Amino acid sequence: MKTLTYGEAIREALFEEMASDDRVLVFGEDVAGYGGLDGVTQGLQKKFGTERVFDTPISESGFAGMAVGAALMGMRPVAEMQFSGLLTVPLDQIVNSAAKARYVHDGAMSCPLVIRSVTYPAGNAYMGQSLEAWVAHVPGLKVVTPSTPIDAKGLLLTSIRDPDPVVFFEHKSLYSNEGLVPEETYSIPIGEASLARTGSDVTIVAWLNMVPAALDAAKELALEGIDLEVIDLRTLIPLDEEAITRSVSKTGRLVIAQEAVTRAGFGAEVIAVVANSDVVHHLKAPVERVGNPGVPIPHSDRLNNHIIPSKDDLIAGVRAVLSS
Amino acid sequence: MTQLMPKDLREMYRLMLMSRIYTDRALQLFDEGRLPTGLHPSAGQEAIGVGACYGLRREDWVIPSLRTTECFWTRGVTMQQMMDAMYGNKDSVNRGKESFHHSGYPSLGILAGTAIVAAHIPVAVGAAKAMQLKGTDNVMLCFFGDGAAARGDFHEGLNLAAVHKAPVVFICENNLHFQTAPASVEMAITDIADRAAGYGFPGVIVDGQDVLAVHETTQEAIKRARQGKGPTLIEAKTYRFRRHYPILAETRPVEEIAEWSKRDPVTILGDYLLANGHMNVSEKQELETSIIIELDSVVARAEAKQAADKSAANSTVYAEGAS
Repeated sequence: MKTLTYGEAIREALFEEMASDDRVLVFGEDVAGYGGLDGVTQGLQKKFGTERVFDTPISESGFAGMAVGAALMGMRPVAEMQFSGLLTVPLDQIVNSAAKARYVHDGAMSCPLVIRSVTYPAGNAYMGQSLEAWVAHVPGLKVVTPSTPIDAKGLLLTSIRDPDPVVFFEHKSLYSNEGLVPEETYSIPIGEASLARTGSDVTIVAWLNMVPAALDAAKELALEGIDLEVIDLRTLIPLDEEAITRSVSKTGRLVIAQEAVTRAGFGAEVIAVVANSDVVHHLKAPVERVGNPGVPIPHSDRLNNHIIPSKDDLIAGVRAVLSS
Repeated sequence: MTQLMPKDLREMYRLMLMSRIYTDRALQLFDEGRLPTGLHPSAGQEAIGVGACYGLRREDWVIPSLRTTECFWTRGVTMQQMMDAMYGNKDSVNRGKESFHHSGYPSLGILAGTAIVAAHIPVAVGAAKAMQLKGTDNVMLCFFGDGAAARGDFHEGLNLAAVHKAPVVFICENNLHFQTAPASVEMAITDIADRAAGYGFPGVIVDGQDVLAVHETTQEAIKRARQGKGPTLIEAKTYRFRRHYPILAETRPVEEIAEWSKRDPVTILGDYLLANGHMNVSEKQELETSIIIELDSVVARAEAKQAADKSAANSTVYAEGAS
């Protein structure tokens, strides 16, 4: 094993896959010459050339559409939306051109593309949006949300190889987080959650940067003898329903940790999984959703910190499910 | 460029005439309540799809607009396949999953467009980019109407095509009306071809009623694309001879309709063939009769076939099957 940051792990996945498959293309705003705003795509153009790694104009719909066309012709494009809020712009290409390509061709065409989308809810009402639920709603798309370096690399490799369009969310606040990653080649299947922490009292279901927040909350609550189980969904679509029901049947208490707006958010889907299964009878308390209360991301940090869920908000959520 | 022989001209005429007869029959079936789908009739614009697609290589690709039925015929889709798609039959091209005009026939080099007007323009550019990366000199033909030229995807797509010198030919069928409104509501210029200059590649105007002019102009653009010189925007000035959609009222001036109907692309080519001795009157009549007879049996078969099977509905959403 070696130590890599989350950002380095993503870069390594791109290098490995571009080296082993010449159909892989990387493009987006600032990804080639500059190497990505956070350096994630640094060195790719130098190594793989201007044909396979290129900067695009500020044309998110245009280059997402290009990714669709290239994918339909057998390439493996990886296009970057440097902020998740930008997903609102190419949404038509992702939701319509990409997601439905296989279906309308009755399986005769594949659209194997990856949209890397960088979530960062800070300082900006537009770019800072967490929009994973928007794409999770769309038949034909897969949605991947890794929280650790090992998962980010393994899942990006799988996403690029996947025959269907994948929206791959990265979280800017995770880029510098370190973790152990195997030296040898590996990949992680899409659709499998991981048990980030085993516990017996309360289940927290989280993804992206809410996983480390949940683990921090677990550490703190452990001092009081409260034992949290943390499920890292890793992929939202397909959803590992069994991982959720297995954990909730054990703990009987569920807290959803999501950075996105709670209303009609992905946590509601997680709750529906529980509500639709026999596990619902194991619930000892109403479910808590910890997330954005339903406001645009404020600019000021003072306001921002009030809106974005923190470790303390998660702890409050855990206390709520334990009190009833 | 391959020189067109008399047999090519006769084939182009057959395709255009077939398209006209088919379209009018489909409209009639719709009016009679027999056809379960409406259509955006291509009548009046047949020269564009036929002229542009005629002579393409099998490895080239096209994405039709919602009205370019002629892309389908010229690339080899049969009337039976089209009618089955319109009826949404069990054995139709996508088993009832998508309408006939947004259907793809990959084995014939036809990609399905989406119902979002102009969204396929950047898709065409990406597909062309892939052909370029593969080291082929194949091309992509991307068809759209004047309405599409008002959307952002048109501008982004053309700009990206220029930057990448993508082997794509953009073919705008400007029929002077955007659904129910005249061109003046969608642009303050006369010629959409002018916009190509803003992206740095040629924009060419062609008489959309003249199949030979469309063919020659497209062949020039295809040659340019194959040589790696990048895209061309062709604006074919044309007119639809029917309403935008059968259930929508006619909104265009009667004088304008009368004036344009004097320039029927099917008649223009037919007269040319007769005048130059490439076809005689009885051959022309026989062709028309044979199309009508074939179409009669196509309709009868389509109506007798099994409707789409509901088991198809929840399949091919993902590669692994229903999900």
